[in-house]
Amino acid sequence: MNNLAKFILGIFITLGIAWLAFVVGARSQYGDLQPTAESLEDDGSVPVDSDLFPIAFSGIAKQGAEEYAALGCVTCHTQQVRRVEAGYDVDRGWGLRPSAPRDYVLQDHVLLGNSRIGPDLTNLGSRGHTNEWMHQHLYEPQSIDSSSLCPPSPFLYQEVDEPVHSDIEVSSKPTGGNTLYVRPSVRANRLVAYLQALKQDYELPEVSFVDEEMEEGTLVETTQGPVAADLSSAPTWLQAQIDAGKEVYMKAASGGGMCFTCHQTNGQGLAGQFPPLAGSDWVLGDKSRLIKISMYGLMGEIEVNGIKYNNVMAPPGIPPGSLTDDQIANVLTYIRNDWGNSASAVSAEEVATVRASLKGRAPMQMFTAPELIPPVQ
Amino acid sequence: MSEESPDQIIDRSAKYVFSFFLSSAGLWLLAAALFAYLAAAKLTDPYFLSTCEFLTYGKIKVAQANAFVYGWGGNAIFAVSLWILARLSQAEVRGSVFLIFAGVIWNLAITFGLLGILDGHMSGHEMLEMPSEVWPAMLVSYLIITFLALVIHRSRQIKETIAPQWFILSALLWFPALFLIAWNGLELNPSRGTLQTVLSMWYGQSLIWLWLTPVALGAAYYLIPAVLGRTIDKYYLAVFGFWCIAALAPWSVLHHLEGGPVPMWIPAIGTVMSIAMVFPIAVASTNFHSTAFLDIGKVWSSLPLRFVIFGTLSYTVSSYIGVVFSLPAVAKITQFTIINEFHFNQRVYGFFSMIIFGAVYFALPRITGREIPKAAKSFHFWTSTFGVLLLLLAYLLGGLTHGVLAGQPTLPWSSSVIQSVQPYFLITKIAFVILAFSQFVFVINVWRVIFPNPFSCCFSNKKEASA
Repeated sequence: MNNLAKFILGIFITLGIAWLAFVVGARSQYGDLQPTAESLEDDGSVPVDSDLFPIAFSGIAKQGAEEYAALGCVTCHTQQVRRVEAGYDVDRGWGLRPSAPRDYVLQDHVLLGNSRIGPDLTNLGSRGHTNEWMHQHLYEPQSIDSSSLCPPSPFLYQEVDEPVHSDIEVSSKPTGGNTLYVRPSVRANRLVAYLQALKQDYELPEVSFVDEEMEEGTLVETTQGPVAADLSSAPTWLQAQIDAGKEVYMKAASGGGMCFTCHQTNGQGLAGQFPPLAGSDWVLGDKSRLIKISMYGLMGEIEVNGIKYNNVMAPPGIPPGSLTDDQIANVLTYIRNDWGNSASAVSAEEVATVRASLKGRAPMQMFTAPELIPPVQ
Repeated sequence: MSEESPDQIIDRSAKYVFSFFLSSAGLWLLAAALFAYLAAAKLTDPYFLSTCEFLTYGKIKVAQANAFVYGWGGNAIFAVSLWILARLSQAEVRGSVFLIFAGVIWNLAITFGLLGILDGHMSGHEMLEMPSEVWPAMLVSYLIITFLALVIHRSRQIKETIAPQWFILSALLWFPALFLIAWNGLELNPSRGTLQTVLSMWYGQSLIWLWLTPVALGAAYYLIPAVLGRTIDKYYLAVFGFWCIAALAPWSVLHHLEGGPVPMWIPAIGTVMSIAMVFPIAVASTNFHSTAFLDIGKVWSSLPLRFVIFGTLSYTVSSYIGVVFSLPAVAKITQFTIINEFHFNQRVYGFFSMIIFGAVYFALPRITGREIPKAAKSFHFWTSTFGVLLLLLAYLLGGLTHGVLAGQPTLPWSSSVIQSVQPYFLITKIAFVILAFSQFVFVINVWRVIFPNPFSCCFSNKKEASA
């Protein structure tokens, strides 16, 4: 104890052993977990053609995770469903199964949390809430649940007098329950995309859903309970539209859209040249802008998910600008529902309405991004 | 000059450093008190200041913990550690300029760090929420201070070291090691998945067990014999207690992950080691309290010691409660509830801060040669004691309510579970007002002694000008 060097060595050895266990040991035990199939073959291999889980967040949801971290949401919300013997989480309908280490391997910000003044959010995205509900909740939680202690975030929204269809209707308490319309900022849209992406609604080889029979009678909040988002359960009309849209996207001959040559078959675009469609705040955002771009093209600087691009997109179609209302509706529905995207379908009627509103516009006159973004009031 | 005792020479050498760190610590304490009040007020009325983005609850709450631990805790640790090491080494504090320079960097780094949190650059890692841009400045300034503390210790007159030196030196050295480990695993070579959480929680909890706790224990080991004028009873146990903390504490902190998405051995080891912590807790408790109770009248009449004994009692009680709450059967109820707040405040306020208050009241008159009025100290003691007990009681009862109701899945979450906890939030708000008042009194007490006449220089200049 009297020799300083030996003393320092001693106190670092005691700390070092714990470090070896919790940092080095844990890292070597499960630091290289990879996504896998819901169940494996008998020999432990991943079955051919099976979907792999967890799924990576889209670009906009990743940005939403950063907003979530920056606003300190983790102070009150956990994102972990505990094992059944360790707590009430599954009984409360907060998850179909306990969370596993593998669920988090693709996340940049792992925000498990340690305090539940608010409910757990592990499966928020599979509770069937609409984006509008999420926005209302972010703007003013008390407009949905008057007993909530969650702080309102009006700074993420802009009050508008002349609402457009993408604005959110809220009945705000401080104004005496009056209805007002608010326009979500880019940040609010990112947050909602992230919250909708929070789901552990798949099984993993190491953890399966908690037995249904065991839960019976205890699962009360059925409307709040996770709903498995199964792609094959999409209505047939939607599936038909998506299939037809994909054909337009991939077709490079007369009557096609030839979209993939720039935006790529995986919807990721090319870094620095062509913006991505997967997880794009434009693609998942306002439909009328997408319709306008599909008819007239786009030129000049545009910011997608916070990254600026400057290029020319000729009016799509072969020959240019030749896509019909049906084709535009289908291809837009397709890009809004592939590569992890999930947004409402676009109908031919909506396209026709926009086309009618642009009657005076010269053919082939490309839009610019500022024209499409409503001026800030 | 020849009449000065060696202690007085040492105290005089520490004067500027001690005053600087202590006055900064006081300002951070007030900042943390303000944040604490705002956060508590927001839990009683969610609309309170809700339009201010930089004052949203999640940010304020985190800013409070960081201002308290790094601002108040860090500066207080520097002040008290340097002075105690100098006293025990019978060596003067050297390099005051460098110490104060490093202290300025440290405080600037935390200021920018907190502004970064409020401006939306929070990292989301427990107790490392300040943006990573300020981490290098924190580490470098910290290392300068630690180096100069080691210089003092190296130049000690007596080869033999005693308990206060072990605890304080190891706390000073453990912090940069923990910091580097966390920095590496979170930023430089980021871990994947829940490894991030394991690491950041290990860092955040170890910060309290291996940084704040040993400094406070070391200060108690120094002050109790110094005030009472008698040796620590059963002192031969102290070495066992020290190595138990060194060996067990870094293992005992991860039981908070019970049931979570991490390998089961991680929380399990945490639970086992938490139970083993009864040994070092018992040792410290025996050392402090059997010594104090030999002369309880003197403990009561000396205000510095009254603060210290409140802290050591709080340490004993909180640590035993911590052991009980780490048992899986109990953790099932208390996990994720506001009992976490109970633990944090008990440890950093009821234990660490109270002992630091005692150390400051003991050291400051000796260093500056000016006495603090007894009534002012006594007022601080009673408001602090009352505030902290009220706060802890509210968090304890509120946390148990929270946990028991949450465990009944038929009760809706916010309209039933959280509504039942809300009255306790109101009590914590009142307690934070009392504590803020008490801390204000402390800062006034300290500043009046450090700067007895803040305008003296202006007046003397005027006189010269008129003459």
